[in-house]
Amino acid sequence: MSEYAAKDASDALARARELGSSVRGSGRWYVRYQVIFGCAAALCVLAIGLLHHPYGVALGTGFWVVVIAGLSVYSARQRVVGRGFALRHGGLIATWGVLNGAVLAGGVTWFPGVAAWWVPGAVAVALPGLVGGFLAARR
Amino acid sequence: MTRPGPGTHPRHGLDEVIHAPVRFSVMAALAAADKAEFAFVRDTVEVSDSVLSRQVATLEKAGYVAVTKGYVGKRPRTWLALTADGRTAFAAHCDALRAIAGGDVADG
Repeated sequence: MSEYAAKDASDALARARELGSSVRGSGRWYVRYQVIFGCAAALCVLAIGLLHHPYGVALGTGFWVVVIAGLSVYSARQRVVGRGFALRHGGLIATWGVLNGAVLAGGVTWFPGVAAWWVPGAVAVALPGLVGGFLAARR
Repeated sequence: MTRPGPGTHPRHGLDEVIHAPVRFSVMAALAAADKAEFAFVRDTVEVSDSVLSRQVATLEKAGYVAVTKGYVGKRPRTWLALTADGRTAFAAHCDALRAIAGGDVADG
């Protein structure tokens, strides 16, 4: 390798930082994904828990299917998958799954139509997406 | 002050495969992602398709970049990603650059 000056090395490192920053910016779509996921999860739980049966279940489930289909198309169209995506997404889905299961099971069994259960439950199922989006936005 | 002997200068830590400007840029771009689409890397690094193809082939041959092909709907897509070896090599290359930039050893 020929002569390589400190200035060349600094320039190369600056270029690497610039490119890294640009690529990370293009991976920020996952912030939007998580926030939409969280809000939709909350609305779905509220519809299932507070609207009259069977309309609440039909509306909540239908809404959820449409949102997930839209988010799937949105993510498939992205050009960059950020660092640690698989782990973060797996964590989001697992946490939401546990919370959603607990809120739905408890609510349907013991608190049908009780806002004092379903509203905090909706907030709980929204948290994985909202917290994940907040943390991703800060990175 | 003593000058270092042959082989001790941090420039010897530079990876010749990564050192070329376009390949360095490709590695730097991919280091910030799990994977990125070929066209995205092309636009980010600001090179043509053919130049990027050639440089990626070199990086792939060195075991630093993995190329996967797939479809989104009917549209073909090529994804580029750093391998574990590629990440290690790029980190070592950047360490060498930092050592040179830090000027711990006289250049030459």
